[in-house]
Amino acid sequence: MRRRELAAASVLLAFALFAITQARGLRFGTVAAPGPGFFPLCLALALSLVGIGLVVGAWRAAPADAPAPSVRPRRVAIAGTLASLLVYALVLEWLGFLLATFALLVFFFRVLQRQRWLVAVAGSLATSLVSYFVFKTWLGVNLPGGLLQF
Amino acid sequence: MDVFGGLVYGLGVTLVPANLFACFVGVFVGTLIGVLPGIGPVATMSLLLPATYAMSPTASIILMAGVYYGAMYGGSTTSILVNIPGEAASVVTCLDGYQMARQGRAGPALGIAAIGSFIAGTLSVVGIMLLAPPLTKAALRFGPPEIFGLLLLGFTMVTYLTAGSKLKAVAMALLGMLLGTIGLDPITASPRFTYGTLTLADGLGLVPIIMGLFGISEVLLNIEKGVEQEVFDTRIKGLLPTREDWKRSAGPIARGSVLGFFLGILPGIGAIIPTFISYALERRLSKHPERFGTGMIEGVAAPEAANNAATGGSMIPLLTLGIAPNVVMAVLLSAFLIHGVQPGPLLIREHPEIFWGVIASMYVGNAMLLVLNLPLIGLWVQLLRVPYGILFPLILMFCVIGVYSESGNVWDIVVMLAFGGLGYLMRKFEYEPAPMVLAFVLGRMAEESIRQSLLMSHGSFEILLTRPLTTVFLALALAVMVVPLVLPPVKRALRTVPLEKTED
Repeated sequence: MRRRELAAASVLLAFALFAITQARGLRFGTVAAPGPGFFPLCLALALSLVGIGLVVGAWRAAPADAPAPSVRPRRVAIAGTLASLLVYALVLEWLGFLLATFALLVFFFRVLQRQRWLVAVAGSLATSLVSYFVFKTWLGVNLPGGLLQF
Repeated sequence: MDVFGGLVYGLGVTLVPANLFACFVGVFVGTLIGVLPGIGPVATMSLLLPATYAMSPTASIILMAGVYYGAMYGGSTTSILVNIPGEAASVVTCLDGYQMARQGRAGPALGIAAIGSFIAGTLSVVGIMLLAPPLTKAALRFGPPEIFGLLLLGFTMVTYLTAGSKLKAVAMALLGMLLGTIGLDPITASPRFTYGTLTLADGLGLVPIIMGLFGISEVLLNIEKGVEQEVFDTRIKGLLPTREDWKRSAGPIARGSVLGFFLGILPGIGAIIPTFISYALERRLSKHPERFGTGMIEGVAAPEAANNAATGGSMIPLLTLGIAPNVVMAVLLSAFLIHGVQPGPLLIREHPEIFWGVIASMYVGNAMLLVLNLPLIGLWVQLLRVPYGILFPLILMFCVIGVYSESGNVWDIVVMLAFGGLGYLMRKFEYEPAPMVLAFVLGRMAEESIRQSLLMSHGSFEILLTRPLTTVFLALALAVMVVPLVLPPVKRALRTVPLEKTED
């Protein structure tokens, strides 16, 4: 537990210090006429003070005997979900909404949820078609057509 | 326009077919997502933001508000039938509601939840009508120092009322404000932290941030632990409470409504804390406190009334001051801004159709919810049987479409994913997302007001101490910080309130 807390607090502190260096690049102005850098710099300084407080707090906390996690976190599933969505975002405009969404859903249903191929493909096809028409035709949302431009 | 005239005028606005339809869609979707675990009103409202572009401002605010109070109704259904709160505001309802269901009294539990919510919702609308106009008049005299004082009070309450470490909550609020400074400087319009990218020039979007923190990260957590739902399999019959039930519930509903409404007005409270407080209050007042938790109808009626009344109460700061007291109202605020309407003291004069229309729509919406919830409860229960394996790809797809359609920029999807990952880690490490989002929204206003105050005073911070109202706000903020340290009983009382988690 202690190491996790310490890691989280350190990341926060590092971000705050980075923010200070960035905010210093902006014009601070004077207190009577504050410039664009005034508020961000104050915030970044305050955040780093709080960050130091959190690091010290985590450091001083007794290394409690952490209860062993009852379920093993499904790290692969979580990383897979995020990664597949990232790929989806990057290819969306090139492939178009229909193809990209179909592929994404097949991945979710088949690979992450272990559905049967038939279920995964049919379900994905139906869902992507229905949502395309609901959002594009009915709600007038501008979804990219991509390769299947029509 | 007096209050009565305003209400009649508002009813006229609400009964226009387009607005009536918006109200219906709002409460329907609200009930739906209230029933479904894993997606809450915050994520849903931001999802619907882009869909409201084409609507009139009045219709879109009516719809958004409907989602919020609709979700409060729907959330109780799952608490009672499955012992899983559909919304955080229905956690307390599980205690006695689920026990009632196990004793074969699911019907009266659901019935009193819906009717109690209806009464509380209606009472809170009356409260808004009476309180908003005078508050508006007072707010017209606010200058930058008063606004800064009020915001500071809000931030203090939000951070001090969150569960767990206060220091972490402060860190999240500061981080949120810092992220809010990305984009153009509000006063000089010079770019800050944009690194030459177009996506950052307008600042990070509220919708991708909220969808990431409240939508994606929620799904990730559910994937991790695996959601198991077991619907309580009894036939629900007899939704109408008996005369005995009525007698026992009348007091709790009345007290829950008043408590919820006034607590809801305060910044940082939201709809969750009042449910815990009203439950505790009923237990204290009861002749049989030991029987709470075994299926007492008071334990369902009071918190359900409280959360609905709080929903109404939290509209007051938004409508009269233009300040969002919680994350849900922050989304509503951006719905106003998208349509170029600035909520605040001028709203009632410049856009009476929105002000009174929204208030009147809440009456109508509450009536619709009663109709939707009582006869259709069987339908909502069926929804609970949809396996999460099917639900989660759909939720993710809706998040992606929602974010993309708002801006047409794929990088906003990437921003959403980044905040999704961040939100997941934050929950794991017990950092609350609510103060961060609220600070992100209000940070810009805080910056403007402090910079203008300093310009007014030629750089002297004394301006915050010489204006009476500002001093009162700052003194209250100080009290919020100091009182729990000095008075152990208050500290203990605060600790027993298990708190504003995320308002979703």
